[in-house]
Amino acid sequence: MSFAPNLPLIRLLVVKDWQLFQKQLAAYVLAGIIALALLGLAKPWAFHLGATLLLVVLVAAACFAISTSLLVERKEQTLAFVMSLPVTPLDFTLAKLAGNLLTFGVPYLVLLGGTAMVILGTPIPDGFVVFAVLVFGHVLLAYGLSLAVAMRVESEGWNTFVMIASMVLVNPFIMVIGQIDAIAGPARTDAITWSAPALAILAAQILLFALAIAWTAWSLGRRPAFY
Amino acid sequence: MIPAFAVQSLSKRYPHFALEDVSLSLQPGTVMGLVGANGAGKTTLLRLLSGLAAPDAGTVEVLGHRLPEAQADARREVGLASEDMRLYRGRSLDWHIDLVRQIFPSWDDDYAATLVRRFDLKPQQTLGGYSHGQRVKALLLLCLARRPKLLLLDEPTTGLDPVARLEVLEALADVLRDERRSVLFSSHNTADVEQLADRIAFLHAGRLVADADKESFLDQWRRVLCLGAAPPTLAAWPEVAAVRSAGSQVEVRVRAWREDLSDRLAAAGLRVERVDPMSLEEIFVTAVRTGGAA
Amino acid sequence: MYQQIVDQITARVMAGDWAPGQALPSIRELAAGSGVSVITVKRAYEELERAGLIATRQGKGSFVADRPDQARQLLEAGLDRALDEVVTQAARLGLDRQQLHRRLDEHLDAAPSSNPSEGSQS
Repeated sequence: MSFAPNLPLIRLLVVKDWQLFQKQLAAYVLAGIIALALLGLAKPWAFHLGATLLLVVLVAAACFAISTSLLVERKEQTLAFVMSLPVTPLDFTLAKLAGNLLTFGVPYLVLLGGTAMVILGTPIPDGFVVFAVLVFGHVLLAYGLSLAVAMRVESEGWNTFVMIASMVLVNPFIMVIGQIDAIAGPARTDAITWSAPALAILAAQILLFALAIAWTAWSLGRRPAFY
Repeated sequence: MIPAFAVQSLSKRYPHFALEDVSLSLQPGTVMGLVGANGAGKTTLLRLLSGLAAPDAGTVEVLGHRLPEAQADARREVGLASEDMRLYRGRSLDWHIDLVRQIFPSWDDDYAATLVRRFDLKPQQTLGGYSHGQRVKALLLLCLARRPKLLLLDEPTTGLDPVARLEVLEALADVLRDERRSVLFSSHNTADVEQLADRIAFLHAGRLVADADKESFLDQWRRVLCLGAAPPTLAAWPEVAAVRSAGSQVEVRVRAWREDLSDRLAAAGLRVERVDPMSLEEIFVTAVRTGGAA
Repeated sequence: MYQQIVDQITARVMAGDWAPGQALPSIRELAAGSGVSVITVKRAYEELERAGLIATRQGKGSFVADRPDQARQLLEAGLDRALDEVVTQAARLGLDRQQLHRRLDEHLDAAPSSNPSEGSQS
């Protein structure tokens, strides 16, 4: 077993997943921009509507990325076609992870950057950035866990459950960090304060996300064969 | 000469099925037809031969590559198409061609164009609008145009109308012109196997029960029509696969025909009326019904 | 299945499509062209060689034999087989010699070119 990934082939497969996702991607970014515009109005009703829409777009993009590249490919049996190509389990795993991180990463980063710009550029208190970043962190973590499960588990039921459950948990998460004074307090001021609890939560989110991805790559990439 | 593939004492166990102790090889330039009932292990064998599955015991070598370790190297030279394989519905044949040709340096544009015409496919149309037959042909085109040294085809003609089936068989026959290329195909359609295969491999309940060149395999079997009363021990004769009586007529299906059998049947009180060769279909059904002893 | 190939080639040699000494297509070529397996064509060539209709020269492939009367013999062997079958069937029906002759005459009368002496092309 050679453990050298075939990079040109991985690149082709990533481009393929990107092409299959392209149209929806544009739609998600567009919806995200509308959400940001609402946020930017800095009126309470528009803020709530925009924030909700932004969350919906983020969650939808995450679920759609996983679903097109993994679940649909399995269900429509195009997976068998991909496996007929000269790919090793390592190539396949890396290509799937990279393709997914790219197709989700692009709208995610665009919306994260947009959100930061809207907060900093409008009368919304600048300190709210920390709060927003933590919410984005939760979506990232939920996405990473859903991706790890989808890469491994064939059952559509379990996959749907994990995706929905982890994403819906963003609600209680927002409530919880809203109760933490060190995070909720500075969010109402114009000073950007990275308190210890905020940093700890963010670090945990990023670490868990990285672990989920790395564990998936390692455990699935070292299989000798697909079946 | 390196065999197209060679497997030794191969076993693969799943919870409800096991492929046991299969040894089989294919010389270059040969077409092998893989026959067996549903669940006999054809798909499992093809998965092992394409390196998608790892054996529990035994060895697999394809075009000199040890599998599953060198599966990517092997699949560069192998064209694999199975019945459960689908192309992307939202994309055109041209899009698929563009993807596949970037992966296989052996891709032959002229041959691909010839096949598009011969298979009567619209390369710009999305696959979602293709009929089942067109999708099968598109998949086969993607395999054939890269001119693989070994074609592994799982049920290539299943569900095709007679015209599409003929087109596919003709394209496969074309592969034979090159004596370094080989084909292994499984089929429920024994007529296809009988027509195209040089060798026949017969799987039954996870075991290889026959592996012979097609002409000698067919030559061994006979349907013997006799008049008289069948002796009760007839069905137990080692060369007899099945006995069926209707009135004074007895039909004996023989799995290892020899000229002296006529005399022995006569000695047992049966007058031999006629001796006919059997089609692969009849042999297949007889062998499966009698527990796979071919 | 090889019998079909044997019959086809025999018919073509009889019809003069393939002259004595002419090279036959290679086994692989004929197999690919007619969509049957290599081994089937090989078996047919062996059969034809045994019957003396074709000759195979090492490294040069197969040729139509110089004695085209072999084709006739081969067809006659086929006729004999068919006649044997007719005789068996007649016996099963309990026809006597005269009845069988009469049946054969009826068939000859019904056939488009009824005189066998006109039918032969050699």
